[in-house]
Amino acid sequence: MSVVLVVNDLTIRTPERRLVEGVSFEVHQGRVTAIVGHSGSGKSLSARASMGVLDVDPGLERGSLLYPALSGEKDWFEGVRGQGMGAQRRLARDTARYRGSYVTYSPQSASSALNPGRSIGQQLAIAIGRRETPPADLGGAIRDVLKEVGLPPRAAYAVPSELSGGMAQRAAVAIAIAPQPKVLIADEPETGLDPVLRRVVTELMLEVAANHGVALMLITHNMDTVRRIADDVVRIGPHASGTEDV
Amino acid sequence: MSDAPIVDFKAVSKTFVLPGAWPWSPKREVHAVRDVSFQVAPGEVLALVGQSGSGKTTVSRCVLGLESITSGEIVLEGQRWDTLSERERRTKRVKYQYVPQDALSALDPQQTSLEHVVESLTVLGGVSREEAHKRGAEMLESLGLGHRLNALPREMSGGEQRRVTLARVFVLQPSLVVADEPTSGLDPDRQESVLEDLIQNLPKGAGCILVTHDMAQARAWCHRALVMLEGRVVEELRFPDGQPTHPYSRMLFDPWGEHDLAQSTAI
Repeated sequence: MSVVLVVNDLTIRTPERRLVEGVSFEVHQGRVTAIVGHSGSGKSLSARASMGVLDVDPGLERGSLLYPALSGEKDWFEGVRGQGMGAQRRLARDTARYRGSYVTYSPQSASSALNPGRSIGQQLAIAIGRRETPPADLGGAIRDVLKEVGLPPRAAYAVPSELSGGMAQRAAVAIAIAPQPKVLIADEPETGLDPVLRRVVTELMLEVAANHGVALMLITHNMDTVRRIADDVVRIGPHASGTEDV
Repeated sequence: MSDAPIVDFKAVSKTFVLPGAWPWSPKREVHAVRDVSFQVAPGEVLALVGQSGSGKTTVSRCVLGLESITSGEIVLEGQRWDTLSERERRTKRVKYQYVPQDALSALDPQQTSLEHVVESLTVLGGVSREEAHKRGAEMLESLGLGHRLNALPREMSGGEQRRVTLARVFVLQPSLVVADEPTSGLDPDRQESVLEDLIQNLPKGAGCILVTHDMAQARAWCHRALVMLEGRVVEELRFPDGQPTHPYSRMLFDPWGEHDLAQSTAI
């Protein structure tokens, strides 16, 4: 399986301390990579950095970021290391068009992933518009994505407040997968869900990721889920990390 | 000590009337709690478990009077609670305390951990500032935060923030503590230690309602659990031996087992 994302020796700091130190991992197409670690160990910070978002000052001290399936050996952190917020803002601008297309991000709760004022169909249309080759039949593409996550076509006309918790979770997965990304980052998708819905959302993410050959990067505390679904595990903690096979 | 229940929740229902999605859409009724009855005895820890959106949080808010009820009766320590005015409740509320899910948003970003506890004691407990400082520091020390008295919320870890919310509650010596997913978002080690602090520091004879999604936590720390589905209690389990028999309870306690997931209607 080809490598779609490489992070090497990622080190991010505030003036007082290092928040992340020496984090390295690779994400492979069609595999599930779990990022695990204690609260505050830098899991979400590493995930944001791997999307080109660094919002800590002075921020990036060391490290490299590669999107091999997009830009080969290009190191996106070149010229950013040790250069502070100005360079980090430039990086965020340069990578903006790949966020939501090459890499998509599904936050902890569906409610923060969905725009409360727009229908699910409108939100899917925006997400589908980010595909490398946008489809000729947008309505058909929206129906296909909804079907894939188990939602009826009428869900396209609903605003998020009209959906049940389970349907909102499915809609959030639909929006994350609609741009046909290479990497889907799911940031603790199980938080706040009951155990049954947790299983359903996890299996749904696995299924759609497998159908599209997407690399799933799962940030989680739940070791039971990791044991069940992860192909590779990256432990982030006080010491440098690396990728382990499960 | 009286054997009267701390909480007597009698056939309570709660219906929310929500506006439609658009100004011209009809209003919608959501039956969040349907005919729910239970009691919490002195010294008992009761878990509320169940589907996301099944009404667990609404029940816990109704118990504390943070939501009005549509029908039924709530009696706390032998006194009718749901019919009291807000002014009457305010003086009694100090005995019935709430531990929120999101500690960071419950804490004032400009106050230190000690100031949070002191404020609780002076405003709700009617204690002098000097006495409040002394008791607040003792309480924080007993929860392992003796070295963090002057720390601001953003300077503390998730576990430490939760302990400040616990200190703020326990320093008032409540007779009922309602904790709504107090370990949500913490890693497993910290979840365990926060729960240990919560249960072991409960004042003697106090009751506790723990809303949780973690069935292992419920089994390990609670005397009983009520399983909720679509606003109703579908099963009551007594721990440590109680085994789920209702199809949804079985799914909840063994989510990765062989189940017909279509039975969980929220999916």
